[in-house]
Amino acid sequence: MKAIEIENLNKIYNNRVQALSDVSFYVSEGEVFGLVGPDGGGKSTIFNILATLLLPTSGQASVLSRDVVNDAKIIRQLIGYLPGVFSLYPDLTVEENLIFFATMYKSRIKDNLPLIRPIWKQLVPFKDRRAGKLSGGMKQKLALCCALIHKPALLLLDEPTTGVDPVSRAEFWDILTNIQKQGITVLVSTPYMDEATRCDRIALIQEGKIIKIDTPTNIMEAYRGFLYTIKVENVFSVMEKLKEFDFPCNYYPYGQELHIAFYEAPEIVLQKFCSFLREQNIKFEELSPIQPTIEDCFIELVKLK
Amino acid sequence: MRELLMILRKEFIHIWRDRITLLLVLALPIVLVLFFGFTISTEIKNAKISVLDLSNDSKSKILLNKIAASNYFQIVSYPNSESEIDFDFKNKNIKLAIIIPSNFENKLEVEKKATIQVISDVSDINVASVLNSYFRVIINDFLNENYVTNSEAATFEVITQMLYNPEMKSVYMFVPGIIALIMIIVTALMTSITLAREKETGSMRMLLITPVKKVYIIIGKIIPYMLLSFICTLLIIIISVWVFNMPVEGNLAFLLFLCFVFMLTSASFGMIISALVRTQLDAMMVTMMGLFLPTVLLSGFLFPLDNMPQLFQALAHFFPAKWFIIAIKDVMIKGSGFMEIWKYLLILFIMACILITISLIRIDKKE
Repeated sequence: MKAIEIENLNKIYNNRVQALSDVSFYVSEGEVFGLVGPDGGGKSTIFNILATLLLPTSGQASVLSRDVVNDAKIIRQLIGYLPGVFSLYPDLTVEENLIFFATMYKSRIKDNLPLIRPIWKQLVPFKDRRAGKLSGGMKQKLALCCALIHKPALLLLDEPTTGVDPVSRAEFWDILTNIQKQGITVLVSTPYMDEATRCDRIALIQEGKIIKIDTPTNIMEAYRGFLYTIKVENVFSVMEKLKEFDFPCNYYPYGQELHIAFYEAPEIVLQKFCSFLREQNIKFEELSPIQPTIEDCFIELVKLK
Repeated sequence: MRELLMILRKEFIHIWRDRITLLLVLALPIVLVLFFGFTISTEIKNAKISVLDLSNDSKSKILLNKIAASNYFQIVSYPNSESEIDFDFKNKNIKLAIIIPSNFENKLEVEKKATIQVISDVSDINVASVLNSYFRVIINDFLNENYVTNSEAATFEVITQMLYNPEMKSVYMFVPGIIALIMIIVTALMTSITLAREKETGSMRMLLITPVKKVYIIIGKIIPYMLLSFICTLLIIIISVWVFNMPVEGNLAFLLFLCFVFMLTSASFGMIISALVRTQLDAMMVTMMGLFLPTVLLSGFLFPLDNMPQLFQALAHFFPAKWFIIAIKDVMIKGSGFMEIWKYLLILFIMACILITISLIRIDKKE
């Protein structure tokens, strides 16, 4: 069975801004499905429509076999939603927030304690602290607890790790894996490409369009270029000079390094590239082939489109 | 039901933990009543006057003593001619000059008609009209005391009879107005700001996607602020009765019921405002400009409605404060009951019903 089915979904805000154009995908039950893409790509719009907070302009969307427009009330009881911005009450304590949302869902904390226990255990030392005073990671854990408190069949997590430190991010994903084991389907979005590999399947989304849907492994295997990393002193001045290098290639900054992908006859182009660097007097430390990450794949897919 | 109690509890926690706002809200009515009571006053004490007594007989003496004995006037000079009166106006800052005709006693007793000339400084219209009224009251008293046993005296002209507020105490005028203002601030403003805050921070979305009934969300928002506003109203009434001797002629329970209905109306105005705006700041601006200002200007609280252009008089009908102030004045000062003011109650109640219904529809509206 499908937990989410979306067909030709369109959303136009104020008759002007096209936030989604012809988005179609499905999420199987028990899957962790990732929406990956830069900010402003339409991820939050999809979440808002699925959470029945926003009406689609056209197209179909169903959650747990129920239509988001007509069966909003039923859907609301079956899903847990964690919005992109912290939306709990900052002046209520951790425990008060949890009790409040449990009551709103006609549920009690003790009924679903087993489900949230691993997260709740980390929150217990802070249970009398006001939610607004928590760290970013703790805030998200509390929000997740509140979203899980009524044992939803589907979790919608809109950028749960944005603004969270790397250690807490890794922890958060461990928690998600755990939640998946309890049979809960998870739709999660993230702007961090490295997190995409932790999903069963991902959809790469940009400017309201889905570029690719597949498992992270398949997406990485489908990478067509030959990717090299090069360490230079000033990435951007080198990129400026590379404009004169007229063999087909694709280069972009990647952290402190520069990634460059060649598409035809990599050995020959690589030699040309090395001599080009020497001609231009560009000093570089390291030039070595690497395995593409999801981010490299994403960039390739965007450029080739 | 458990959900409603939980929403109420949450709302009280918000109020309790925001100490500064809570203190401000409770201090505001006290400060406003004391401020208006002691400073902004249309009541005038010890106005300087001149008296030109052309008859100088026993009756004119009695009248002058009476004037001097009142708190309202202070006789600063006794000019000898009318031209000296003019001098007094210019140099002694008198507000009023009184000329008692010659043969005053004789005219009163024989001709049964005497004319006292009153000259006022009308550069400040309000002061002049208030002083004129005070003077008429004193003349009235004078006639009653001196000629009431005399059957012939019944033929005297009675100038004005001032009802309900014979001393024209300003406290009677502004206490109802302040109650209205405070209730607008506490119920309408606070309701709209806190609702807009929930919209702004996103917690409203979290609430909306829970299965909780929308009515509970709205009731849960209104009740705490109505309660707070109720406390403020009690504070205002207690201070105005104790400090300023404001009468409460009508039934106190009925008075509080009237306040309750008005609170409901202003809370519903707050709800509808928050439904129209996106941020707390907008909510505040709209409530101040759209509700608070009209309450000050168009309710008849500070400026009489009868003197306004037709357009503004018509506009005033749409703001709840006008109806409330008419009703509460009737209850507090005239002692009116339900039968006299049911019309105003009904208007306020209908306003509240319409606005709450619209808010209920709007709260869940999706783009």
